[in-house]
Order: sequence, then C-alpha cells, then structure tokens
Amino acid sequence: MLVKDYMTRHPIMISPETDASEAQNIMTENNIRHLPVVGDGKRLLGLITREKLHVPPSDLGSLNVWEISRLLSDLKVKGMMVKGKDLITTEGDITIEDAAKIMLEEKIGCLPVLEDGVVGGIITDTDMLAHLAHLMGATVQGVRVTIRMPDKVGESAKVTDVIASHGWGIYGGGGHDAPKQPGYWDAVLKIQGGDKEEVVAALEQIEGQEIIDVR
Amino acid sequence: MNNLKKAPPVLILEDVAVAYKIRGGEIEAVQNVSFEINRGETHGIVGESGCGKSTVAWAVLNFLGANGYVKRGSIKFQGQELVGVTGEELRRLRGDQIAMVYQDPMQALNPSMRLGDQMSEVLTVHRDMDKKEAEKRCIEMLERVYMPDAANVMNRYPHQISGGQQQRVVIATALLNNPALLIMDEPTTALDVTVEAVVLDLIADLRREFDTAIMYITHNLGVVARVSTRVGVMYAGEMVERGTVEDIYKDPQHPYTQGLMRCVPKLGADKASSILYPIRGRVPPPNNRPVGCVFSPRCDYVREICHNKRPELLEFSSGVSVRCHFAGEIEADKWSPSDDILPPEIITDTSPREPILKLDNLKKYYEVQGSSLKDILGLGEQRYVKAVENADFDLPRGTTLGVVGESGCGKSTLIKTIIGLEQTTEGHAEFMEIDITDEISTRGEDVIKELQMVFQNPDSTMNPSYTVGQQIGRPMKRFSTVPKDEIRGEVIKLLESMRLGENYYDRLPRQLSGGEKQRVGIARALASHPNLVLCDEPVSALDVSVQAALLNLLLELQQEYDTTMMFIAHDLSVVRFFSDQVAVMYLGQIMEIGPANAIYAPPYHPYSEALLSAVPIPDPSAEQKHIRLEGTVPSAINPPDGCRFHTRCPRRELLPDGGAICETEMPPWRETAEGHRIFCHIPLETLNTFDPVITQKPEGSNHVS
Repeated sequence: MLVKDYMTRHPIMISPETDASEAQNIMTENNIRHLPVVGDGKRLLGLITREKLHVPPSDLGSLNVWEISRLLSDLKVKGMMVKGKDLITTEGDITIEDAAKIMLEEKIGCLPVLEDGVVGGIITDTDMLAHLAHLMGATVQGVRVTIRMPDKVGESAKVTDVIASHGWGIYGGGGHDAPKQPGYWDAVLKIQGGDKEEVVAALEQIEGQEIIDVR
Repeated sequence: MNNLKKAPPVLILEDVAVAYKIRGGEIEAVQNVSFEINRGETHGIVGESGCGKSTVAWAVLNFLGANGYVKRGSIKFQGQELVGVTGEELRRLRGDQIAMVYQDPMQALNPSMRLGDQMSEVLTVHRDMDKKEAEKRCIEMLERVYMPDAANVMNRYPHQISGGQQQRVVIATALLNNPALLIMDEPTTALDVTVEAVVLDLIADLRREFDTAIMYITHNLGVVARVSTRVGVMYAGEMVERGTVEDIYKDPQHPYTQGLMRCVPKLGADKASSILYPIRGRVPPPNNRPVGCVFSPRCDYVREICHNKRPELLEFSSGVSVRCHFAGEIEADKWSPSDDILPPEIITDTSPREPILKLDNLKKYYEVQGSSLKDILGLGEQRYVKAVENADFDLPRGTTLGVVGESGCGKSTLIKTIIGLEQTTEGHAEFMEIDITDEISTRGEDVIKELQMVFQNPDSTMNPSYTVGQQIGRPMKRFSTVPKDEIRGEVIKLLESMRLGENYYDRLPRQLSGGEKQRVGIARALASHPNLVLCDEPVSALDVSVQAALLNLLLELQQEYDTTMMFIAHDLSVVRFFSDQVAVMYLGQIMEIGPANAIYAPPYHPYSEALLSAVPIPDPSAEQKHIRLEGTVPSAINPPDGCRFHTRCPRRELLPDGGAICETEMPPWRETAEGHRIFCHIPLETLNTFDPVITQKPEGSNHVS
C-alpha cells in the first residue's frame, strides 16, 4: 500500500504558457482540482489549484469591463502557480499514511509524485478517501462490526480465531484507541460469510470485549 | 482497484471526421468516429484494410500529411483539444505523453545507429538527461520488456537482432517517457505467431504496470480478443460497432461484425469451427461510398431504408453501440449462408489413392560464402544453410497437404525445390513417377505443365502491362493444351469459375483489387490443368473477408479438377478446414506430419503444441494453454545437433536427464495407427497424455486479463 499503487498515473498536465482561463476550463471539464505544471520532459515546475486561479474581487474593483477582460486574458498559469519552496512533492515509494501525514501537516489537498525527477502521478485527498473506503471494505458486501477490546496483546487474535472457526473472512477493517476510554482499543471489521445475527452471536462469546456497533 | 474514484478518460474522440484534399474536391476518409480510452485500458480497433483505422490514429497525432485534416469533431487528450494544435505544443505532447509503435520495427529503427544510441536519444533530448544515466535507464527498460542480454543489445545495430526483439526495442523506446497514451498500429502483424504471442503478453503486462491507455489497431480479430478490454469495429470509415470484447464476440449486433466473425477460423474443438463464410463484395473505396448505410451493398439483411438513410448510432443498455437500422433485431444464430458463399462440401474419400508426389529424404542446402581469406581462396571449410532437411513423405493424388511453420523454417524452399526453382542437393523426388531432382532445364514440358504455383503476392507475380486474358491464356498457348482459337473461350470459362466474369478479360492488373488479382493468379496456375498446384501463402496478404472466399474457391476448384495441392501457411488455423494432411516444419525439418484431424489433438509434437497455443483465437471464451517458446530460431547455417528443436523445447524435461538425448541424437519417427508421424524422442504414450491446447472456458467465467 504505497503511494505509487494508489496515485493517479498520467495526470492531466499543462505547460506554464497555458492561459489561466484554459486551465480553469480544463479543471471544470474534467472535474479535477489540481493541475501539475510541467516543462519539457514532464519536469515539474509548479502546481495549479482552483484556489490559485481565484482572482480577488478587490483587484478588479477599480477596473471597467474592458480592462477586466484584458487583465483576464493576459493571465498565464506561470504567474499564478504554486512554485519554489511552496511546492511540496513526494516519491512513489512512501506509504500512503506518510503521504497523508504530509498533506495534513502542510494543509494541502494534493501531492505531485515524482519518479526519476519527473511527474509520475499525483495523489490527492480524493485518492486518500477512496483508499480509506477500500480499506474499510466499502466495496464488498458483509457485516461491519466495531468491537471495543482491552488494549492488550492477544485480544485481536481472539476475534480472528472466532471468525476463522466459522469459516468467515475479513474483507477490510482497521482500528485505533477508543475515544475517551483509555486502555481500550476499537477495531472495525468487515466480515463476509455470516449474517448479522450469526456474527454478533459468535463475537459476543468473547470475554472482556464489547460490540459497540454493528451494521 | 480504484474503482470508487472515476478518473477522466485519457483520450476522447467525438464525432471525428477526417478528410483528404484531392484534385477537384476532398474525400472523407473517416466519418463520425467517437470513442474514449481510459487509463490502463486497451481499446482495440479492428477492420479490413482501407477502413480508416490508421487514419484515426494519425488524426490523434496530427500526422495526416499536407492534404489531410480533421474536418469535424473534437479529439481531446488529457482534457486538451488536439485538433488545431501545432508546432511546439504538439512536439511536446508527442515526445512526452503520446507514443506510437508501428507495424514494421525495421522502419522505426535507424539502421545506421546502435540501438543504445537511438534509445537514449529519447531521454537526452526530451529530458536533458546525461548520457550515462540515460543508458542505465534504457537497459532497465529493455529488461522490463524481457530482452535477453539487454546491456549487450545496446551495442548492437538493428539488423543484428531478430524481428521480435526489434519490436521489443521499439516498444521499450516508446515506454521510456512513460506516455499516457500508446498507439499501436498493427504491432505484431509482421511477426511470427510464437513471437507475436510473447509480444502480446508483454503488452498486457505493461498496460497493467504503467497504467497506460493503449489504442490497439489491428485487422486480426484474434489478437484483439487477446489484448483488448473494449473494441471498436470499423468499416468504410465509420465505427459500426463498439463495446466490450465479451459482448462483441459473443453476441455481435452489426451484420458486418457478424460476417467478420464467420470468416475467420476459430480453431475450436471441432473441425466445423474452421468452416469459413466469406462476406460477399468488398470494402467500397472512400470516394465511392454508398448513400445510406455503408454496409448495405454487402449486407444480408438489407431493406429499403438502408439504401436511403444513414443509420444512427444506437446504444444498448449493455454499453454496446451499433450503427445499424435493425440493430437488436438481427439474430446471428438464425443466419444461414446463401448459396453463393456456401463453402463446398468436403468429400472425404478414404480409399487410398496412388501417390502423385514422392519425396525421399529430400535436402536443399545453400552454400554460404565466408568472408575470411581462406574462404575466398576456397580453402576454408564449405558451410551450408540447411534449408530443407530430409523431407520424406508421399502425397496421394487429389489430396491437399498443408505446410505450416514460422518464417525461415524452409516451407517455401521445400516447394521451390519441388517445382524446380531450386536445385535439389540430395535425396530423391518423384512426381508422377518422373524424377524431378534434375536441373529444371532438363525437365520436359509435360512435367512443367502439370506442376504450377500460386504465389503469395499477386502484385509482383503479374506482368503489369499484360491484360488478364493474356496472362491466363499464356500457359495454354505455351503448353498447347487448348487449340489457339479456343483459348479465349477457355479463359473466360476459367474466369467464370473464379467468379470474375467475361468483362475482366481485357482488364489490366492495376484495375483489380488484391483479391481479384489473386483469383487471376489462381486461374493462371490452373490454366494448364496441372496435376499438382503449389500454393505459397496465397491468402496471407488478403483481408479476412476475401481470404475466406478464396479459400473456399480453391477448395471447390480442387475438387472439380481433382488437383493435388500443397498449401503453405504460417498459422495452423488457416489450413485446418481443407487440408487432408498437415505438415509442421521447424528449421528445415518436418517435425510432425499426419491427417489434419490428428494434428490438432494430442499427441502433439512439442513444437506444434507451442504453435497451437500461440495462435490468437477470435473467441474470448476459448482457453489456450500458455506455452511460450524462449529464445529465437537458431541459425540454419549451424542448426543444433540432435533434435533441431531441443534449444527451445518446453517438453524436454519429460525425458530422462532433462532430455540429454535430444542434444546428441536425431529423434526417431514415432508413428500412430492412423499414419500420424511425430519426430520426437518423447514416446507416444507420453505425448498422448498432453491435454488439448484449446478448451472452452466454462460459462460465466469470461474475463479478460
């Protein structure tokens, strides 16, 4: 589960000489929010986002219609893109969670992914959400249970043992420490094989664990 | 896997029309073509020659030439309009994001540059990479396309590697810049089936790995079934049907697609799957397309409306779109061939007949002139290309022998030696009890008359300044088989049996289509009523719908005149239907020979087995064993000792010591009860245990990888 497996390869890219209005158009038509700006050989020069194309009304306030239209038609991607040290990129070989951390820390929605120094792909918050959904088993039918268990070694083995003994399978899931309840751990599992009642009945047998949600 | 997120298509064509300006107007070569290609998808485009497949590809790249232009519609690549883009922007796109692979790798490579230099140029020019780094990257890429000894290949010139390897170099070069779109125009057509199979596997692998969108153009329905996810069928400049491979192959809606499916051999489990039904007529030229539906003149379901009104593209809920007025109403299963395209019935005469041709250890060696001083003075050891080795079989009168093998295996040399174009080196050949191993000048006219040949390329075998009538009449005159004043009548009779008619008598070759030329070629071969006709790939250069018609015609004529035939083909599917016997050749040696039915079922020779598994079958529900031969065909100057196939044989391990015997000893002929002979060390009992190569997938598990 590395960035290179989840990024969008061959993203739509534009050149720095592109008109800002054209960039705006490409984003709207293709329903995307980020455009890497590249030079010859797909070398990354900058990044255009929807916000970057935003022209503050105060800039236009004192202008008449003709001046506005000239101002807009003279706008090039080159002058509006994120560049230099503001441009944060990643390599394809890092984990998806590390990429998520970078995006959170920098408060950005996308990371251009460089491969051998040129743009190999792009990973965005949408990719992350898709990944989350997949990770939790959103694409498979099954029973989703949340189990609260003591944060101790051997607790999740109990759960998997029960599931295995019934011949069911785990198709997605995850876990983190229980909110507002120190010493406990919440695990979410997407289980396929049994129906809701069967799964609950089986998992309820485990001592010290509690099913806090099932759907 | 990312099916929750929908990425926009890489390439979108919308209602594209391409026109060429010619003297006094313009021709619309392509009309109303719309399709899209997603990331990591292979979109096949099939159709016969002249249907506008390549024009579509060129339109995307704006390679239409000075007189061609996109007249209507839009072509969007990665969200950007390509129509009208010129100069610098286009150069950048072609270099960085779109790559092409063409049919002939030799023409894509510069013969005077080392492969390493021309490959690394892509990186040094487009990416400003330094030379060392670029070379390293090239070697990595060559390894990715499974090039043996990649580092060494970089120092070679194009002519020093085989055709399959050349194509791999071209594909590797195309992928160096990791393009978003790869356009492949008949990339495997010039390759042998076994090499083709390897290249097709490679394409499928690379698509998955690089997430590249591939536009795959081919005339071969089998190839499309193997590599594509979706396919568009083009006819006369229009896309007449489009959908997923499964839908199109299982249940074709457009009459043209249905016709195409019927005129390609399926190589299925039974012989009936090899019966071909041609489509009558031929593709109309772009300046003379019918009003209304373009397919109407050839359609079996044509009605009044088809002649007047152009059909709209109808979309079905399954995602298949069809350009036909009656799409959805036509049921392909209910189709029955009309009389004029019905193939002749095969009369299986089992009574043994006397052999017309007897070959006894026939050999043909070519002398090779060495380049050392010793060789020039004639002191060096004489070396030979062993083109045909120990050909040994009888051909009964009135039967057909299919000869199959990859290029360079000696098929053509074999028949050239029989007909006398090449002199026999050793061995014995008897034709109608006359020795034919002597020089051709000593051959009597009565023998020459009885031995005729049909060549592969009808264009180069006909004198362009003689009319059709003269060409066909000439052998009659020469051999005085027909009195002079009856020649014209006889020629017309022949033309009619070729379904050409009297009005062809005074035409010149350039006024004929490829299929018609080949008919004339066949008529000329039959003019002297020969006893034996040797056909050297007579249909390989023709379109599938014409191919089927010619094959059926040949068969009919053979039965009518009781002619004996030897028929060369490079792929096993073509010869199956009408051959009584099939011989499989490898490196000058016949590896397997026997009744046609026996060849396609176990026991197989390991080489035939590999050939069968390589043939692309136009049926996604057919499952083939995955056998790929490694390496290339060894040189015929220095063929391997023992069994010639041992260097590539995938079945050697079945013998003790990993097949040590294959390297040293010639294999014995193993013969089954029905006269099926296999040239292999592996005993028949073991060969019998092989599973059939082609099986039908169980229903419901059709999925294309």
